[in-house]
Amino acid sequence: MTSRSLFQRSCVLLGFIALSIYLFYIGKGHSLLIDTNAVTIDGKELRSPETIEVSIDGKPAESMGRAERILVLVGGPKHSITIEVISGDDRKVEKQFTIPTFMDSAIVSVPAILGDAPSESWITTFTAPPVEEAPAEQMQHEQDTPEATAPVSPDATGGQPKP
Amino acid sequence: MSSRLRNFFIDNAVVILFVVLIAIAIPVSGLPGTFLMQEILTRLGRNTFLVIALLLPIMAGMGLNFGMVLGAMAGQLGLIFITDWNIVGIPGLLLAMIISLPISVFLGWLCGSIMNLAKGREMVTGFILAFFMNGLYMMVVLYAMGSLIPIMNPELLLSRGYGIRNVVGLDGVRQSLDTLIPLKIAGLNIPVFSFLIIAAVSYFIIWFRKTKIGQDMRAAGQDRAVSGAAGIPVEQTRILAIIISTVLAGIGQIIFLQNLGTINTTSSHEQIGMFSIAALLIGGASVTKASIPNVIVGVILFHLLFLVSPMAGKNLIGSGMLGEYFRQFVSYGVIALALVLYEWKRVTQENDSRATLRGGGAPAAKEAKGGAA
Repeated sequence: MTSRSLFQRSCVLLGFIALSIYLFYIGKGHSLLIDTNAVTIDGKELRSPETIEVSIDGKPAESMGRAERILVLVGGPKHSITIEVISGDDRKVEKQFTIPTFMDSAIVSVPAILGDAPSESWITTFTAPPVEEAPAEQMQHEQDTPEATAPVSPDATGGQPKP
Repeated sequence: MSSRLRNFFIDNAVVILFVVLIAIAIPVSGLPGTFLMQEILTRLGRNTFLVIALLLPIMAGMGLNFGMVLGAMAGQLGLIFITDWNIVGIPGLLLAMIISLPISVFLGWLCGSIMNLAKGREMVTGFILAFFMNGLYMMVVLYAMGSLIPIMNPELLLSRGYGIRNVVGLDGVRQSLDTLIPLKIAGLNIPVFSFLIIAAVSYFIIWFRKTKIGQDMRAAGQDRAVSGAAGIPVEQTRILAIIISTVLAGIGQIIFLQNLGTINTTSSHEQIGMFSIAALLIGGASVTKASIPNVIVGVILFHLLFLVSPMAGKNLIGSGMLGEYFRQFVSYGVIALALVLYEWKRVTQENDSRATLRGGGAPAAKEAKGGAA
């Protein structure tokens, strides 16, 4: 292999690696939880209006009330959110936000966006609460349900009980 | 004239047989025309790329590449990785293709090298090689992933902590290609972007045939000894044909699975070789000759029969399973039929040329002379 062809092949390889990194960056999927719970930022409590319509990246808008969360799946780092206040002062807010690449699940706070809070406080990492395992007694109870322990009727097996 | 007619029927026996079968099965199935049209459009976008992957090895005289399953495995590995990393949409599919690329190239090189050691028996070699590589693939997917190869998403792993689950959902990339350019005509969804990709790869195949390497491949396919004497690196050319075929099969499998939306980790790749080869043969291709029209006709006929046979079986016999068995029978049977026809034609041609050399003239030529008289 000549040094020229080695150089060309190295360039192609580096190009593929660079393209892979770029595709990873622009294609990384995120789970966004659009949240209308009240938040306190700098000692100031921000509350969501009674009814709003939220749309992410121009997708069909979804109606939300107070203290609700909806899940939206998106790809890539940069997104836009459009919030239309239905109750109270009819206004429409459109903002851009960026999600860190390695943040898989994020909470997007609607009151923070509507309350003109700093953009750093719009997005917070979502950490799923630990799943509580069912107690042993409860599992035992589920196994002892009448359906599970009912004897097989002879009629159901053609008069001959199965061994 | 009768000789011409006979040759026409012999050359197109498989296509004619399937057209007749479909013509009988469609009215019996009772399926509406719009449903069939929609399904055929979807399946054309889903399967055509995979079938096109078979063309270059045929051109290089290596027959039907049963080793394309290796490329399909590489494509699936790419999809498993992007699902683990949660890369969605078109970037996810492109990344899966890039990941599959080096694996496909390596497996294609391996397959081509082994086929060079088994010249003249490439098809059965590829078939058995696919079985062998399937074992290695299973080892990687069921043992190495999650233990040696880090998998971050616990939902992908089996409950024992390593090994990929049997079914992997591709929700992030599902039908990303098919719906990229939405087009609806007369209530039918057309997968425009998939068709554009198929057009591009078809153009690539046509262009490649005209290049120096393409001509070398054709020459090596016609006569290895003469090509070698003329200075063509026959073995390298054959390996290149298999590498390109394997790479295309990897990309084709990604296109196929993004349309379905799920990977059956242990079995999605297994039937791909058989079904693609059957589709190509139904389109009128042979072990030595295949073209883009063969691919299109084959995919339409094969999948049309796939669609209508279960319902036709149910309506005729009262059991949908009959149609299901028929599908299996068709895919294996058509390969056997095409191979028998090919061998029969080859023996007939040899006998004809032998008779010509003896001065007796070919039977077909005699018949033609008699007809003219």
